[in-house]
Amino acid sequence: MSKPSDLTYDAVVIGAGHNGLAAATTLARQGKSVCVIESRDGIGGMARNAAIAPGVVAPKMAHLLYNLNPKTLKELGITAPKSVSLPTVSLADDGRHVVIQGDLVIYADGSAHPEAATFAALHKRLTKFAALLGQMSLKTPPSLAGGLMDMATLQELAGLAKLGIGLKRMGKKDMREFLRILLSNAYDLILDDFADAPLAGMLAADAVRGAYAGPRSPGTVFSMMYRLGNGGDVRLPMGGMGAVADAFANAAKLAGCDIRTGCGVAQVIVENDTARGVILADGSVINARSVLSSIGAFQTMQMAGVQHYDTEAVRRLRNLRNKGTVAKVNLVLSGAPDFVGLDAKLTAGRLLIATSATYVERAFNPVKYGDMSNAPVIEAVIPSLSDPSLCSDGQHILSANVQYVPYALAGGWTPAARQKLLELTLDRLEVYAPGLGRLVTHSEVLTPLDIETQTGAPGGHWHHAEMGIDQILTLRPVNGMARYGFGIAGYYLCGASAHPGGDVMGTAGRNAARQLLKDGVLA
Amino acid sequence: MSAKIKAAAVPMGLIETPFYPRLAALSRAKSWIGWAGYISPLVLDTVEFEYFAIRNQATLFDISPMHKYRITGPDALAVVNRLITRDIRKVRDGRVGYAMWCDEDGMLIDDGTVFRFSQTDFRLCCQEPMYGWLMDVAWGFDVVVEDESDSIAALSLQGPTSYSVLKDAGLDVAEMKPFDWREVEPDLWISRTGFTGDLGYEIWVPRDHALAIWDRLWAAGADWGLRAIGGQALNMVRIEAGYIAAGVDFQPVHAVMRLHRGRTPMELGFDRTVAFDKGHFNGRRALLAQQDAGQRFALVKIDIGGFKPADGALIYHRKRTEVGHVTSGIWSPTAKRNIALAELKAPFGISVTTDLWADVYVHEEGVWRHKMVAVVIETKPFFANTRARATPPRAF
Repeated sequence: MSKPSDLTYDAVVIGAGHNGLAAATTLARQGKSVCVIESRDGIGGMARNAAIAPGVVAPKMAHLLYNLNPKTLKELGITAPKSVSLPTVSLADDGRHVVIQGDLVIYADGSAHPEAATFAALHKRLTKFAALLGQMSLKTPPSLAGGLMDMATLQELAGLAKLGIGLKRMGKKDMREFLRILLSNAYDLILDDFADAPLAGMLAADAVRGAYAGPRSPGTVFSMMYRLGNGGDVRLPMGGMGAVADAFANAAKLAGCDIRTGCGVAQVIVENDTARGVILADGSVINARSVLSSIGAFQTMQMAGVQHYDTEAVRRLRNLRNKGTVAKVNLVLSGAPDFVGLDAKLTAGRLLIATSATYVERAFNPVKYGDMSNAPVIEAVIPSLSDPSLCSDGQHILSANVQYVPYALAGGWTPAARQKLLELTLDRLEVYAPGLGRLVTHSEVLTPLDIETQTGAPGGHWHHAEMGIDQILTLRPVNGMARYGFGIAGYYLCGASAHPGGDVMGTAGRNAARQLLKDGVLA
Repeated sequence: MSAKIKAAAVPMGLIETPFYPRLAALSRAKSWIGWAGYISPLVLDTVEFEYFAIRNQATLFDISPMHKYRITGPDALAVVNRLITRDIRKVRDGRVGYAMWCDEDGMLIDDGTVFRFSQTDFRLCCQEPMYGWLMDVAWGFDVVVEDESDSIAALSLQGPTSYSVLKDAGLDVAEMKPFDWREVEPDLWISRTGFTGDLGYEIWVPRDHALAIWDRLWAAGADWGLRAIGGQALNMVRIEAGYIAAGVDFQPVHAVMRLHRGRTPMELGFDRTVAFDKGHFNGRRALLAQQDAGQRFALVKIDIGGFKPADGALIYHRKRTEVGHVTSGIWSPTAKRNIALAELKAPFGISVTTDLWADVYVHEEGVWRHKMVAVVIETKPFFANTRARATPPRAF
């Protein structure tokens, strides 16, 4: 049911990805009238299913859940689809594959791993630190703008103080360690304790997942902890990522939101430095008392018009780092592949090709010069092994994140370049699953450029903006705009480029909507 | 690429302005300073002669070192209005407007004059280098920003007989009102503007026309007491007129290192140059917030008792609490008063305006004395004369 356009919504949300939907639901559950506008035909953004061949449903882009926050889900009334926890298998050239599940490490053949105790200790330490940082993710980043005499600022400080107290509570030794490693690079941290082998490779790969960074880049210990935000569990949703997006959408509808797809927002209406609604691509106008945008931060600015922003803000948003480095390769297989040395359960796990931390770093090097890695880091999963409903007739879908692939490839993304990327990916997989190539009946390559084109995510970056130490917390997306309010009164950023960032979790959307209510925009 | 850099390609030291040959010939004091990379006279003869020439005759001051930028294109008006705090739509074609521009915190970056050729063509003239900032302000708009600092030569002709000098030089500016701006001859633009608070004009020509216009004015000025002057005398008259100077009465915020050294237009007493109703401009939200929260400082014109110049003196309330300081102070030979601009911390200068004292230090041949001297806040300029605004101007 949609309202006639002469009515004024309390809020219009731009984009029906999980963050847009989370923001809409948060507001609607407070009794606000909300309309979500999606330019594409379907909802879900990066968390979408796609029927890419007859009888085959693939996770179009994102394929696993990391940081879905149970508190957020409960708050939004979302019934998440059932999901299974997947073991991670870090593939080894010598066939001694390493299996990681939670803090347990063994070889794939069941024998003990010599670094199991070391890993458990590191996992425990990092999870503890991650939990400490995690408490910041559900809050608006603090502002000290009011000065120490200001009551609101003191309340902000209380949140920070809690972090400080948590830090103190860890004890002197842990606190020192936390502060020592927080800004450092993953490579050094890992190789302090581990041999440069597949286990180290797994840690390094997860530290830079989706990032324009190698494990030797500063700040990668932070992103490693971010990965571990909710314990580091990797989950595969039944029914694909689309089912997760559907759950977000259903919650939104249940809360009373209107969701309109197939016609995007062309422009945000600004009157008197206040957001008053949107004009759609077809020229129709939707009036609203506030507008929330889940698209990229720079694009959010352009949607309202650069003339409404201070020069410094424009400069910062222009220089936002958001170069995506991950391509998605979806392969339709005529049958289940055979990975040497892996049983059926492990083959259904999260398969990593990151044979050492050095391998990961070397894979990063070419992307700096506009080339793709010749030996890429691959995170592959075959969801149809865990969820047979995705494919019919014995077919399977192999979903692979291939890193590092530049957004702007030197020479451009020609058909030949795409073919090369596909072959590189197949060649690497063939090393561990000989004959896999012969099973491929259909393939799909999504470069970062394609991901940008199809979802609007700037640079095809998973997080809309790099999760670097210079672009997190009070600096996310940029200095001066970290509190969701986006310059113009009643205009809010609620996507992955807002705090706390990307991954399919909806926290940025939820936080933005709460801040909007707190700011009294709809009072 | 040759590793050798030709010596001639990189000028060393200060650059000569287009008028330097004439200034050098007139300089008795040999007192030069660097101004924006150019060599500029502080005094040519004596500061007293030069000061009284401004107030009683006519004077030429070389303002070529001022930074000049041309902003042209379909969005030029939008860019200028985005840059400055006042509403440039209210300045007509062929007019000049005094303007301030701020950073995102509402802190003054610089002040200057905007010359409006048309709504698609403006010149910005200011003290600080501004090209990088203008390029950033203009991002996303259809305009071209050109740095004209080196290609345009400019002279400031000021003083009660300045109109007569122009007239005798064959330049008809009789109908020009203050802040008017005309192409009087091809490639020769004149504006009725200045930094003296008196009758005066500024003359703008391409660099290679500089010496010709100097010689023409100089010849015409012989009967009208025309003198060339340096920056020191000019500084005296601008304080008399109540004009502020960048780096002196306010710190251009892009040039300061420390926090909270920037000042807003309101804090400098220029509320009237902030047009909140014109749409967004840089710093608007911060300035609105300050309007609600109240200004932190007030720059005021003060009269200090006695006759000792009090530049830099600290200002006290009830002779006890330090509340500010003098930013520019002179003994005004025309007003016959000891005058200054001073910055006071709020609420002083705003709601508390009495019982203020300047602690004036005087050095007399190796002996220092200091004395608390009463301060009176003034609202009007220390120098004001109807001749400054009369159109057509009188001959004198």
